[in-house]
Amino acid sequence: MLTDITIGQYFPGRSLLHRLDPRMKLLLTLLYMVAVFLPRNWYGLAAAAGFLLAAVLLSRLPLRLIWRSVKPILFLVLFTSVLNIFYVTGGTTLVHWGFLRVTTQGLITAAFLSARIICLIIGSSLLTYTTTPTALTDAIEAVLRPLKIIRINAHELAMMMTIALRFIPTLMEETHKIMSAQKARGADMESGGLLRRIKALIPVIIPLFISSFRRAYDLAMAMECRCYRGGEGRTRMKRLRTAGRDWLTLTVMLALMIGLFLLNQLGSVLA
Amino acid sequence: MIEVQDVHFQYEADGEHDLVPPAVLRGIDLTIEKGSFVALLGHNGSGKSTLAKHFNAILLPTGGKVLVDGMDTTDPDNTYPVRRLVGMVLQNPDNQLVSTVVEEDVAFGPENLGVPPAEIVERVEEALRTVDMLDYRTHSPHKLSGGQKQRIAIAGVLAMHPSCLVLDEPTAMLDPAGRREVLDTVCRLNREQGMTVVLITHYMEEAALADRVVVVDDGLVLADGTPREVFADGDRLRQVGLDVPQPTALCAALRQAGVALPQDILTPEECAAALIPLIAKKKGV
Amino acid sequence: MAVLEVQNLTYTYAAGSPFEKQAVHAVSFCTRPGELLGIIGHTGSGKSTLVQHLNGLLRPTEGKVLLDGEDIWEKPKEIRRVRFRVGMVFQYPEYQLFEDTIYKDIAFGPRNMGLDEAEIDRRVRLAAGYVGLPEELLDKSPFDLSGGEKRRAAIAGVMAMEPDILVLDEPTAGLDPRGRERVLSLIEDYRARSGATVLLVSHSMEDIARVADRVLVMDQGTVAMLDTVQGVFSRADQLQAMGLTVPAVTQIMLYLREQGVDVGTDVYTVSQAVERLLPLLGGDAGC
Repeated sequence: MLTDITIGQYFPGRSLLHRLDPRMKLLLTLLYMVAVFLPRNWYGLAAAAGFLLAAVLLSRLPLRLIWRSVKPILFLVLFTSVLNIFYVTGGTTLVHWGFLRVTTQGLITAAFLSARIICLIIGSSLLTYTTTPTALTDAIEAVLRPLKIIRINAHELAMMMTIALRFIPTLMEETHKIMSAQKARGADMESGGLLRRIKALIPVIIPLFISSFRRAYDLAMAMECRCYRGGEGRTRMKRLRTAGRDWLTLTVMLALMIGLFLLNQLGSVLA
Repeated sequence: MIEVQDVHFQYEADGEHDLVPPAVLRGIDLTIEKGSFVALLGHNGSGKSTLAKHFNAILLPTGGKVLVDGMDTTDPDNTYPVRRLVGMVLQNPDNQLVSTVVEEDVAFGPENLGVPPAEIVERVEEALRTVDMLDYRTHSPHKLSGGQKQRIAIAGVLAMHPSCLVLDEPTAMLDPAGRREVLDTVCRLNREQGMTVVLITHYMEEAALADRVVVVDDGLVLADGTPREVFADGDRLRQVGLDVPQPTALCAALRQAGVALPQDILTPEECAAALIPLIAKKKGV
Repeated sequence: MAVLEVQNLTYTYAAGSPFEKQAVHAVSFCTRPGELLGIIGHTGSGKSTLVQHLNGLLRPTEGKVLLDGEDIWEKPKEIRRVRFRVGMVFQYPEYQLFEDTIYKDIAFGPRNMGLDEAEIDRRVRLAAGYVGLPEELLDKSPFDLSGGEKRRAAIAGVMAMEPDILVLDEPTAGLDPRGRERVLSLIEDYRARSGATVLLVSHSMEDIARVADRVLVMDQGTVAMLDTVQGVFSRADQLQAMGLTVPAVTQIMLYLREQGVDVGTDVYTVSQAVERLLPLLGGDAGC
């Protein structure tokens, strides 16, 4: 059902990955993204992929969940692969067809890039699968806090994210209801060209906007009733704590990055 | 607890319409005693919700005074102390929960008050236990029923340790089961913990639960007394678009037909209990 | 007069997935032309899912919905035609208003039907009359109306399609006694003047008792009872067991029966109760 969609698709668990400090996980994910772009050869990429595989196994997430995160971007992977196959030339020519040429180098580059993208996607979905949206929001707030100097209010940003997460399912449900109500009045949302379909959405979008404003007004009042006055003087029930395991994981990650750097050197020596 | 002294309220004229909007409250005097359970009854547009919003400084009177534990709500320094003392639950269960996790939502109030984290944890647990929702602490609010959401909203207020709970039509959007859940919780809070409760409603059966009913109509207090006193005058209530509970109406109709029934019957149980001896007597004749 | 028939209808949410849930199970019933059929059940009893099948918003997993003997899913492409004949007013319908005037909003349905301007105009004015909206309100924005007026305008928007069968889902939800009474009496009035069949979904026994001819009681996705209002209330104890709240008067009769005074529980209004009780009390006897 429409209402079952949640952003950030958290998958409950008690694994090492689940228990890591969300701030550390955020940092690790960023570092891994960099790490994936380090390798210049297959040894490095294999090491990065191996590291990821270990992380997936540690997370004890069902593998179909991992597959589900990759599935929607397969098209993108395929598309970039095709582009690469035709654009990159070098090595032996395998197929020559008009101005299109498929070369070994093209195939290799395409495969390399695809592997990289897939690692990237799995890496970041590990973060969202093992971290609750609220923990993620807290982490973002904590990480952005230093930006206060340039007048970015991390608390407000995090509050907005929390409220957005809270209301997405509610608004989804509401959209569904309004669509049903307008369909019951004979609104035709399933046929006609693009322009007609966009026009057919007006009876849905306007009530949705109005109701969002009404909700926003109500929520603002409810927050005021509960003594909300911005981030000043606020405490948090859950304090984020870094433990030994966090620093250990960070060390492993840094080791991976150094290793990848060395593998690059090794690659050029071998070549 | 709350003293309302000759309160007038009128929204300001906005730029577009030059007309000054009509006064919503036209001189209300009311004292809410500590530990009491007061129902504010009135039809839509009677001013009952506007009045309620004066109790926790969401609205400030344009004339007269509201004192909460002696604090004048118009003094900006009092705004937050007043809101902590007088917690408010609103009508729409969907629009007052802030977080995606039940326990974090309940923590929102104490967090705003700057309560130390360890104490927040205790308060959240205590509040959730009070509304009987502790099992749902890690759930997401949007999958709960309306009655459950309202109980979470009540817990969110309780976690601020208020001394008065104001509920603005908390059951209007709920089904009968949800209504019962919320009312049971509210009654229990009043009886067991001595919480002062102000329940705004247009349901007569709900008002009958209170120990005092204040009927608001057209910005004025129309009637004020125990439910028995207020519902005894059915005609006046009907004139302002309200009604009396069915048992009270039935007894009134029977009385009119010459049956000697007391005037102050509110619940079906009371009504049946009053009828039984009369029927037995007749049979005996 | 159109007849709506539901045959052995079953609906399963998220069929085939681990979240599979049967919301409605093997439901069959048939409406009588021009009747006001109340549909009652607590939240989760399947009543809302059921009614969304009646105008083809949901398609049955099994079973059929027949309109004048024809399966409404015979030609899926023409399901919109069914929606014109079976009008549906959703819960809190005022939240669907979107045009800048009430007139245009009521005209939305008839316009979707492809009617000409003269006919649209006639229907808008007729429907506005049914719900008691004065002419001068028609050119106002929906946002200048009171809550009760908005609700009635939204109901008029469906009535203007002049459906043979009108389904209303909780039309009195959230209204005060005066607003509730107003909506119920306009529904009665509409039925009398248009001759349409009306299906009223509610969890308020009082509302159903007040206007319905027959009542369909849903419980756990199935039809638990289908009978006249009196017939259903005579089984008031079973209604209570299903978690439904019976009117206070019925409740009194149940208490009396417990005490050995059985005057029947098929009583749900004050005047009925007076009629039933007076002979037992013997008028002035008590004094």
